[in-house]
Amino acid sequence: MVDQNHGTGAIPQRPLGRTGVKVSALGLGGHHLGDLKTVDEAIWLVHEAVDAGITFFDNCWEYWNGRAEDWLGLALKGRRDTVFLMTKVCTHGRGADLAMTMLDESLRRLQTDHLDLWQIHGVCFDNEPELAYAKGGVIDALDKAKKQGKVRFVGFTGHKDPSIHLDMIRRGYPFDTVQMPLNCLDATFRSFETQVLPELNQRRIAALGMKPMGGMATAVKCGLVKAEEMLRYAMSLPVATTIAGMDSVDVLRQNLRVARGFTPMTTAEMQALRDRCAETAGDGRHEVYKLSLRFDNPQARWSHCIPLDATQKEVQEMLFKEAGGP
Amino acid sequence: MNESHENLIVHNLGRRGFLQRAGLLGAGAALSESLLQPQEGAPQLELSNTGPDKIPHKPFGRTKEKVSIIGLGGYTLGSAPSLKEAIMIVHEAIDAGVNFFDNAREYHEGKSEEWMGEALKGRRDKVFLMTKVCTHGRDKKVALRQLEESLKRLQTDHLDLWQIHECVYDNDPERHFAKGGVIEALDEAKKAGKVRYVGFTGHKHPAIHLKMLSYDYPFDSVQMPLNPFDASYRSFQKHVLSEVNERGMAALGMKSLGGNGQPIIKGVATVEEALRYSMSLAVATTISGVDSLAVLRQNLAIARGFKPMTADEMEALQNRCASAAGDGHLELYKSTMKYDGEVGRVQHGLPSPKELPL
Repeated sequence: MVDQNHGTGAIPQRPLGRTGVKVSALGLGGHHLGDLKTVDEAIWLVHEAVDAGITFFDNCWEYWNGRAEDWLGLALKGRRDTVFLMTKVCTHGRGADLAMTMLDESLRRLQTDHLDLWQIHGVCFDNEPELAYAKGGVIDALDKAKKQGKVRFVGFTGHKDPSIHLDMIRRGYPFDTVQMPLNCLDATFRSFETQVLPELNQRRIAALGMKPMGGMATAVKCGLVKAEEMLRYAMSLPVATTIAGMDSVDVLRQNLRVARGFTPMTTAEMQALRDRCAETAGDGRHEVYKLSLRFDNPQARWSHCIPLDATQKEVQEMLFKEAGGP
Repeated sequence: MNESHENLIVHNLGRRGFLQRAGLLGAGAALSESLLQPQEGAPQLELSNTGPDKIPHKPFGRTKEKVSIIGLGGYTLGSAPSLKEAIMIVHEAIDAGVNFFDNAREYHEGKSEEWMGEALKGRRDKVFLMTKVCTHGRDKKVALRQLEESLKRLQTDHLDLWQIHECVYDNDPERHFAKGGVIEALDEAKKAGKVRYVGFTGHKHPAIHLKMLSYDYPFDSVQMPLNPFDASYRSFQKHVLSEVNERGMAALGMKSLGGNGQPIIKGVATVEEALRYSMSLAVATTISGVDSLAVLRQNLAIARGFKPMTADEMEALQNRCASAAGDGHLELYKSTMKYDGEVGRVQHGLPSPKELPL
């Protein structure tokens, strides 16, 4: 993929599918933003990212029970028009009315009257495509929100299985974007890269990569690959942007070093990296989000009758709030 | 395309074609429902030893063996309150006509095999005894060492059936069939007269079972979760069961109540409905978890004088369960890591059940 700003030292801008819009090849993840210690740190991080040329901002109605959106809203005051703002709706199989309520909450928290992109969050259960397309399902809300001018573009996300993504796509709704885990580990395990990415490019739907480090970065921690290699691999794929979680200014700067004047890996380099990972990646150990429910949010579990995980910080905060905490 | 035509093509294409039909080539084990053609239900297996007070028997694959339509699960035997109660469960089951006994080397770190060994003293010849080998990718030396341990704990000189336990990771088939792997141990153990028949088990995904079968190894049995909920979610019944029967292998059902009985507790189906459904499929036996005499008696009452459900009854039950079953929350062994054992996780570099419960 040839980037417009390649070699100029700026973060490349890439076309977002068939929308006519361009977005930064590196995007800022919303979940990690809500996990920072203070709102001031979050604001600082967002401002530095905007100043460096990041335009793609990710978020989600359910991250940290709304805090991630609240903080991004505060940080974008006066800067809303310089960014491409996305958030996600968390129906997890439930209907359009709930989706519209969530949309209004997201807009209020993000202090804006419209989203650039609104995506169905975490399509991870086999029956969710069927539920999304059912009469009164979340797809109806996408149409309604577009008609009301509250969202410009729509898409969906998920981290579980390529077959679920393909089911969503092939039922035929004209999504503008589809988000999925893309990294050098995915290439050899239930692979979104080999099964979903070509289908998206063929349909001119913008592909959004996430989890460039494989979620918990276990492959980096055990010395199999370097963080920089992983980010470069993910950004070298035919995607509009790679959404990376950044939990400190240091990590932001480290990622900016890769993104500024980005040089894609050669095909041979990418193959070598896939080969290096293939053996241990093959059982999914470095992509636990595909095997386990650890990465499935409380709302997803709740709506699918699966017990919440009380060891998750997000769940603990939620229960504390419900019990009348601050 | 009719079924026999399709199978002919599958056999002619061999392994590659088989995997293509299953949508497995170059794509991990992700199973695309649209690529997989659902298989027609195989005809009922013939019941013998019938009568109002008897537990019927069914043929064990292409062999001459007959096994009871209900089998006693080994994991839950080790969960019984005491050795004394475990022995009472085993004796009462045998007296009632149950002859299929399940176990695994790793259940309760050996306790399940030890208790069963104690309980089978003097009764070994009355039962068809199975246990499982738990290499999870390690080599045949580990497998053969485990076999000796199992024989010792079970207090016998041979197993009727020895199965590769818990094929649940996408790359397990490659590891098992690698040179020097567990498959070679199956051959050696048979040759040495220590095991009569061999097979494999797993609870995760039909695609992994089909990958195991694609190597065309002459397994005698294949064990899988079979129940009315499975029919609507990553279904072994639809994608694996008739393949196993067509190959002349014995299909062994497990998790007839969804693994932990949640579908029963939630009122989706009754114990009797779920167990009868599972036993009505084209399986040699349905291995049932029993951790008390009360549960044993409940299951024996359903198995005694058993008459299979009609196709219409089965379809009606499947349909009734379909909407609840479609997201996998009634079958956590497929949809989460809850049932993936510690030993297998260690071999695959994954966190322990305590760290990653689901």
